[in-house]
Amino acid sequence: MTATSERATATRSRSAEPRPLGNRIYGFLRSIPTWFLWILVILWTVPTFSLFVNSLRTRDAQRGSGFWNAFSDETFPTLDNYQDVLFPEVGAGLGNALLNSASIAIVATIIPIAIAAFAAYAFAWIDFRGREWLFIGTVALLAVPTQVSLIPLLSAYSTGVRWTIPIVERTITLFPDLDLSGQIPSVWLTHTGFAMPFAIFLLHNYIAGLPKDLFESAAIDGADHFKVFWRLVLPLSVPVLAAFAIFQFLWTWNDYLIALTMIGGNREALPATIVVASLAGEFGAQEHLLTSGAFVITLFPLIVFFALQRFFVRGITAGSVKG
Amino acid sequence: MNRLVITILGIVAAVGGSAVVFVGINKLYDLTEDRYALFNAVAGGLVSAGVFGLVWGNRLVVSPVVVWLIAIAVGAATGYALGLFEDPMRRLASGIAGGAALGLVLGMRATASILPSIDPLAAIIWLAVGTGLGFAVSAVSGGQIDRLRSLLAGGAVGWLFGAWLAADFDGSRAEVIVVALVLGTLAGAFVGRRPFPNRIARGNMAVASRKYIFAGPALVFVASALLFPLVRTIWLSLLTGNPRDLQWTGLTNYGEILTDPGIIDFSGFGEIFSSNMFWLAVVLLGAGFVTGRIAGRRLGGNFAAGGPSLTMLAFGVILFGFALFTSIRGTIPNNLWWIFSVIVFAVSLGLAVAVLADRSKGENIAKSLIFLPMAISFVGAAVIWRLIYVARPPTDPQSGVFNTLWVQLGFWSDSTTASTVIAAILGVVVAGVVYLAWRGWQAEANAIVAGSLAIAAGLGYFIYRVVGPGIGGVAISELTGELVADPVLFIQETPWNNFWMMVVFIWIQTGFAMVIFSAAIKAVPEDLLEASRIDGATETQTFWRVTIPQIYPTIGVVVTTLVVTVLKVFDIPKVMTNGNFDTQVLANEMWERAFTQLNFGLGSAVAVLLFIAVLPVMYINIRRMQSERLG
Repeated sequence: MTATSERATATRSRSAEPRPLGNRIYGFLRSIPTWFLWILVILWTVPTFSLFVNSLRTRDAQRGSGFWNAFSDETFPTLDNYQDVLFPEVGAGLGNALLNSASIAIVATIIPIAIAAFAAYAFAWIDFRGREWLFIGTVALLAVPTQVSLIPLLSAYSTGVRWTIPIVERTITLFPDLDLSGQIPSVWLTHTGFAMPFAIFLLHNYIAGLPKDLFESAAIDGADHFKVFWRLVLPLSVPVLAAFAIFQFLWTWNDYLIALTMIGGNREALPATIVVASLAGEFGAQEHLLTSGAFVITLFPLIVFFALQRFFVRGITAGSVKG
Repeated sequence: MNRLVITILGIVAAVGGSAVVFVGINKLYDLTEDRYALFNAVAGGLVSAGVFGLVWGNRLVVSPVVVWLIAIAVGAATGYALGLFEDPMRRLASGIAGGAALGLVLGMRATASILPSIDPLAAIIWLAVGTGLGFAVSAVSGGQIDRLRSLLAGGAVGWLFGAWLAADFDGSRAEVIVVALVLGTLAGAFVGRRPFPNRIARGNMAVASRKYIFAGPALVFVASALLFPLVRTIWLSLLTGNPRDLQWTGLTNYGEILTDPGIIDFSGFGEIFSSNMFWLAVVLLGAGFVTGRIAGRRLGGNFAAGGPSLTMLAFGVILFGFALFTSIRGTIPNNLWWIFSVIVFAVSLGLAVAVLADRSKGENIAKSLIFLPMAISFVGAAVIWRLIYVARPPTDPQSGVFNTLWVQLGFWSDSTTASTVIAAILGVVVAGVVYLAWRGWQAEANAIVAGSLAIAAGLGYFIYRVVGPGIGGVAISELTGELVADPVLFIQETPWNNFWMMVVFIWIQTGFAMVIFSAAIKAVPEDLLEASRIDGATETQTFWRVTIPQIYPTIGVVVTTLVVTVLKVFDIPKVMTNGNFDTQVLANEMWERAFTQLNFGLGSAVAVLLFIAVLPVMYINIRRMQSERLG
């Protein structure tokens, strides 16, 4: 009974669509867009994967054939490249530079978060004159390219800030010559300044969206702004603080331009990105170390990325999509 | 190990120090209501510390540490007294006493190089101007500001200028003591004249302080890292000379930049007419326009943007852009080319991935992997892609992905067997695609027809090249007449090396575009899509007519963000070519001029050009924020 009805359905559908083979081909070809997605995914993954594989191959193997030949190498996998780039027999390795990177990234993440969170709270919940315009003005600076500030900041760090008073032509020092250029604190300060517009923008969007009743009942209980901020806003804002922290951490860890400008020639204080980039400048001899060096500086962001992707994505999308 | 300890200590000091300052100031202002004297003592000490810090930093006193500590003590004592006494006369007296004491210390310990010879006339004139200004301020404020305090403040500043800053520094110790004493007295009277705040006023003080404490640090950082440097850079761009001795030069720097053939060079423009790309672009644009016109007529309008016409127009625009930017060379055209390609490819690929991955199997994995390059540094990405692009000498085996494939393709297309096999396999694919086009034609799905025919045409041309004239990275050696590898020097061969570097950037930024588009697509209301499906729209129509208009604002956000990011691109050219082989971009040009050649004027001028380029984006952003906050 069941078999008959099945056969009947099959016959009916065949008579309705006379070219089953054609339909199958058509359906198959219509799914090309889906393949396109996965082809893109593979194309997007191969470069990073090839770096990883090559970092485990000897210099000769890297120069002699493509990464897909790794399994036919007798020496694969080897950790020699990592050994050589982290703890070389001559000179300082990446180890020192990684410490510098960590120092830059940790401080240049925590301080901007704190400062921007206070400011975002002020812009959202403290009423004062000119608040709107200060906020819009600050966030508008988001688009200003870093290059615009580099020369004045570097000269401020290296020789201080002086102001010549007009008419009397006397020069006074407003910011002393602390000889910060070449030192890590100059990078902290620069990152903190440059992070402000985005941080305030991101945190403000979230903090301004907290329910108003919360603040009203806190005010009735006699809590001042500092208490409200500390007891209510900070704990409630953990998701957005985490989102910004990840964003800023990756940004400062991966930064090259600011560290290169502010630290420049002081080899002791250089972060890992600059050391790896300078390996890239030395063609030939060090080329095989480039792979392990680049993978070491990439590994940490990748771990952060996979562990905390959700927050990272939230940080990037917040504010650019309404609703 | 030692380095590790120093690093950790540095981190703890920076973070802890900032926290102590912030919490400390908040706690300090908590004191105003109940323990005003204590608050005032601390505040007085801090103000003295700040003022005498400036004195110290300007090397105005000998033994600065001792003077600084005395100043803090005197300031704190004065503050305490002012926090205690409510009687106006006692307040005035203690203010004057404190100010005079500080003035005396300053005068006694002033360095020999700043002893002024007082010019009585100048001092009196400046004093008069200062008090006059003070009077004007209090008059304008309409009694809001205390008349006497206003006069005292103006007088103090006027005296400072007239008796000290404007004078010649060849006077005596007695004169400097007089100057500092008078200055201290005036300032002290100004402070002491302030009436004792009652309980309500003290409470308001605590409340009013919060906005400064909360927003202040951020605004200080914004001003000192972005605003003042911006103004200073604009000023520097009008100067020339070595960094220690800059001279006014007007707009010369800009003139020099805009006439530099390395920065903008139109001389190759004529070549555009001999490039196949340009003519193909013209044909596509023309055909796209005609198709749209015909479709429009059929619908009774002027122009209908359908699948076929849009596809042709889009490819036409892309080819036209590439033809243009490979003929006009220089730093500025390079930057424009970067903006053009990154936006076109990152936006279209990002949108494609977002749409294709939406609600498909393995959505999260696909999106994660596409997004992954966003976490990698530009330096790391440049290294990764250098390995992909690497070209080994023709006699060695290739190890870069692209050149291996390209050289192999060359050998295959030279061998009869291999090229026949390739042609046969691709022939089947072409047949399938043509069949798809035919089915699409029957179903009146124009987009499928256009897309399939475009793919079929491309593949057909490829088959022709493989079988016929040959394609791939091989050349005939002039020495032996044999076929040898001829790899592409992706990083050295201009102008296309620019595009290969853009690919790295597109690889990174597609993930950014995708994530934002994905969120926007998921935010399109389901009932809108449902309504359009009920009205009989196909999935393609729903996408172009409903989804895309819904996410227009998001496309705007992505494009503006990308413009800003691309304009700043520095690391990739720096690491891959360092601006050699005609790959200079503005950010790298700025860095070279300013920090390698130490020409601050030219470097600043290039930076200002970058700033001018982002002005439209800033304007759009401000308008968007205004409309969001008002509506």
